Amino acid sequence: MTNKAAPWALAAPLGLAYAAFFVAPLLMLLAVSFHTDERMTAFGLDQWRRFLFDSFHWKVVADTLLLGLKTVAATLLLAVPLALAWRAASPFWQRALLFVVIMPLLTSVVVRTFAWIVILGREGLVNQLVLGLGLAADPLRLLQTELGLVISLTQIEMPLLLLPLLSVMARIDPNLVDASASLGASPWRTLFRVLLPLAASGLAAGCLLVFASSTTAFISQSVIGGGRLVYLPAMVWQQAMVVANWPFAATAAVALLLSVSAVIAVIAHAGRLAAGHAGATAHG
Amino acid sequence: MPLRGGRGLGRSDLAGHAGASAAASGSTSGWNGPQCLGDGQNCRRGVQSRRLAIFLQARARGTGVAYPPTATEGTGLLERAFADTAAATSRGHTLDVLGLTVRYGGFTALDAVDLSVRAGEVLALLGPSGCGKTTLLRSVAGFVRPAAGRVLIDGAAVDMLPPNRRRVGIVFQNYALFPHMTVADNVAYGPRARGEPRARVSARVAELLEMVQLSPLRDRRPRQLSGGQQQRVALARALATEPSILLLDEPFAALDRSLRLDMQIEVKRLQRGLGLTAILVTHDQDEAMSVADRIAVMRGGRIEQLGTPVEVYDRPRTPFVAGFIGTTNRLPCTVRTAAPGEATLSLPGGAELSVPLDAAPPPPPGPALLILRPEALTLHDEAAPGRFPVELGLAVPLGGQTVREARAVDGTPLRLTEPRQGAIRDLGARAWCGLAPGARPVIFPPNEEA
Amino acid sequence: MPHPIPRRALLGTAAALGLSAPALGQRRSAAASVTSAVYPGAWEEAFREHVAPPLKRAHNVDLELQPLFAVDQVAKFAASRGAPPFDCFVLDPGPRITAIERGMFERFDAAKLGNRAQLPPGTADEWGVGCAAQVVGIAYNPKKVPKPGGYADLLRDPWVSRLGITGFGTTFGTISLIELAKAFGGSETNIEPALAELKKALPRIAAVGAPAAMPGLFQQGQCDVMYTNTQTVTTLRDRGVDIEFAVPSTGASTFFTTLHIAKGSENPEAAYRYVETVVSRPVQQALMGAPFNFVPVNREVPLDPGLPMRSLDDMARFNTHDWSKINPLRGGWIERFNREMAR
Repeated sequence: MTNKAAPWALAAPLGLAYAAFFVAPLLMLLAVSFHTDERMTAFGLDQWRRFLFDSFHWKVVADTLLLGLKTVAATLLLAVPLALAWRAASPFWQRALLFVVIMPLLTSVVVRTFAWIVILGREGLVNQLVLGLGLAADPLRLLQTELGLVISLTQIEMPLLLLPLLSVMARIDPNLVDASASLGASPWRTLFRVLLPLAASGLAAGCLLVFASSTTAFISQSVIGGGRLVYLPAMVWQQAMVVANWPFAATAAVALLLSVSAVIAVIAHAGRLAAGHAGATAHG
Repeated sequence: MPLRGGRGLGRSDLAGHAGASAAASGSTSGWNGPQCLGDGQNCRRGVQSRRLAIFLQARARGTGVAYPPTATEGTGLLERAFADTAAATSRGHTLDVLGLTVRYGGFTALDAVDLSVRAGEVLALLGPSGCGKTTLLRSVAGFVRPAAGRVLIDGAAVDMLPPNRRRVGIVFQNYALFPHMTVADNVAYGPRARGEPRARVSARVAELLEMVQLSPLRDRRPRQLSGGQQQRVALARALATEPSILLLDEPFAALDRSLRLDMQIEVKRLQRGLGLTAILVTHDQDEAMSVADRIAVMRGGRIEQLGTPVEVYDRPRTPFVAGFIGTTNRLPCTVRTAAPGEATLSLPGGAELSVPLDAAPPPPPGPALLILRPEALTLHDEAAPGRFPVELGLAVPLGGQTVREARAVDGTPLRLTEPRQGAIRDLGARAWCGLAPGARPVIFPPNEEA
Repeated sequence: MPHPIPRRALLGTAAALGLSAPALGQRRSAAASVTSAVYPGAWEEAFREHVAPPLKRAHNVDLELQPLFAVDQVAKFAASRGAPPFDCFVLDPGPRITAIERGMFERFDAAKLGNRAQLPPGTADEWGVGCAAQVVGIAYNPKKVPKPGGYADLLRDPWVSRLGITGFGTTFGTISLIELAKAFGGSETNIEPALAELKKALPRIAAVGAPAAMPGLFQQGQCDVMYTNTQTVTTLRDRGVDIEFAVPSTGASTFFTTLHIAKGSENPEAAYRYVETVVSRPVQQALMGAPFNFVPVNREVPLDPGLPMRSLDDMARFNTHDWSKINPLRGGWIERFNREMAR
């Protein structure tokens, strides 16, 4: 026990900082949600009753989680081929690809989001291309649709998945791929039985980040998604900043936190299972 | 260690296992049987599978400990079994490489290499790093796309096939075991990838694990195994697909010296027992000598010499080969007279030496390079015709031999070995050196580079 | 820009979390200084640039600005319990009513302003004084659609398929929707007709956007007609966008963003000097210029020709709204809008 005392002492400042700046505000948020009135004079379950016994709110929760899952799926679909291309690329192209991947991180979310308005808009790049090629008679409606939102979130969140994935991919012994091929496995089998299981930890970490980030991407959701797509973050904003109903805003915020955490726990668990299969650091 | 009955495994256990596997593979052969009518390839596989079962059976009875050099010489059960099956099939698979050229950018890694590997033999590709031996191996496996040339297995071109359709097994230097799979799943990977039925896969895995004596560890992960165990898993995994050709890429390099010899013997045993055609890439000449039936010494993307270990050792075609295989003494000399069968040389310091010659044509008179193995020289404490004076250096015992350093009068360093009985002979600082009886020195033109 | 910029969303949330923490930035109570809340972003920038220097020059008063959204100003004041965290509020009509109801302002005596006479009647009242006006109407792209006559036109061809709308999240959005409701028989307290008509037209409407996204959507041609304020029109026109302001047949609407002195302020004198400086001619003139494009409240400022009135007194004819009636309903309207518009 005395041996363990020192590390604990070293961790104490960070722990206290977390407690003060992370745990305490969270508890306060929770406390706010249990007030009955906007001026927070009395405690009660009114806000929670109002939130939970309204199917519209459940739809908003479901839409928010679905948006996250769709973004994760789209990001995965693009990130895995990119990661494979990166593996196969020469060092020069590896660096170039990495730069392109990281670039979105170097621009602000607001700029990236408005850039997508330019791309997806009625007179945007995509529609100019589609109309120019004669693929459609009228401009496609991409902005203010869930599809457009998922497309832009996919680009915006891509580095969050790709970076952990690449760092795991880089550690996979290239001989394993050759070994798999020489044993008669098709490239697809090699991908699904060797590469992806070995990259499971990176994939899970990336999916987790993308999910958490896209479900709470307030700016992209409201600017690209528009007023017809209602997600929890926008609801929290309206209630807190426009209606000034902080208890209800806190309720929606806690609901967002809980529902997103629940899905994250599932992803993390799945990742651990897969990585446990794959990692085999400990006793298998 | 695996060759001596395994740890904690009773013979009866083994026998029981082997009996079961034999039964399983018996039915396997039956499954394969009908295809033999029209499909030689599959037929051969069935035969190989049957061989494996017989091999196991034989070993379980304690009869298969010595590997049979050829099918006809043998006297044990296993050997007889091989004699039987040899009648039913041509002997294993052949590999031919014709004019194979591989370039990386501007660098020519393989330069129009021709090579034929006979059925059932182990051919070692030996050479320093960068000589092209690994590139040749990877070209055969299909990982490298050659710029020109052909790769034929049993006379059929495979160079347009992707690696997964070549039926070539490979054991990597780092084994490349799938770290996320158990030992059994690693071995089952190939058969599963080829879509073999579940029952057949598990029977095959059981047989192979039995063969490499890893059955008790079947549920372990590779990281929980020792280097030798990992290597045996890699071997079993490669054999599980019943490959036409087995490629071994420096498979022993990562093993301890003591374990290396055990594994070399075991691999050779398995290869012989199963009648496999194998290519071994190595930079270790001892390994090549002990495992290979023939050795291809490579240099700069070309094969410098191809021959049996004895040929390559005793009759190196170039000073490079001589230098790469075994320890070599290189003495500058002058050819006085040369006739078929014998040449007279004069050495610096005036000594005259007459050496027997194997190779025709005899070397032209003039300066030359005499290449002598350490054991081809003997030391004497007095001068005589055919002896030259040397200054003696360090003498160390190496097993049953004494290794001596010496220096000719012109300063050429020499190394000699002689049998040692008891203490090292004390010869003082100076001695006379002569040819050992039966020694076959080799003479090269003087300026040929090493 | 009274509508909040989402960039500050996180800040806002952080402020919400800090609700019951004691106000960290307790103001300094030096005699010659005043602390004022101000909207983050353009407002903060404008005040730092155009208000602080003349205030220091003319009255030797140091100005400290606290960037806070309206909601945060109210919450921060409520949490401070008697020791106001700032001397002055800047608020839109809705939050202004909330703060009045909660007794957060000192009584305001407009007579203490040296330039009182330059302000049109109705600019100041017992609680505070308007420091910037907004004129709300319809913006359209003259190259794409004809000039719309009024709010009812928005839901007719050819405008409806090019229409961009926004909800009750902003002051201009709220009063526009009220005007729309009025065009279909509703009133200041009955917006149902607007929602009903919008719902019918919804499949054809070009965009339902977040308030902050509307200028971008218009600029990119996603929509070619929208209700908005003159400030947005001027800003977009300065960027070269084809945009014109149309006064609806039922009249333009207007409201003030107002300055107030916080209850318990220890520097009322400095606060009056601050307010006086903000509404002074040179400051109002500067705030009317690019990039702020505020509508001035000082009669002596010559109006930008792009504005739909010749003098500030014309604005007396514009529609105004009673936020003491709107406020209690607005939360419900926001939710109604969400539900009716949601896919």
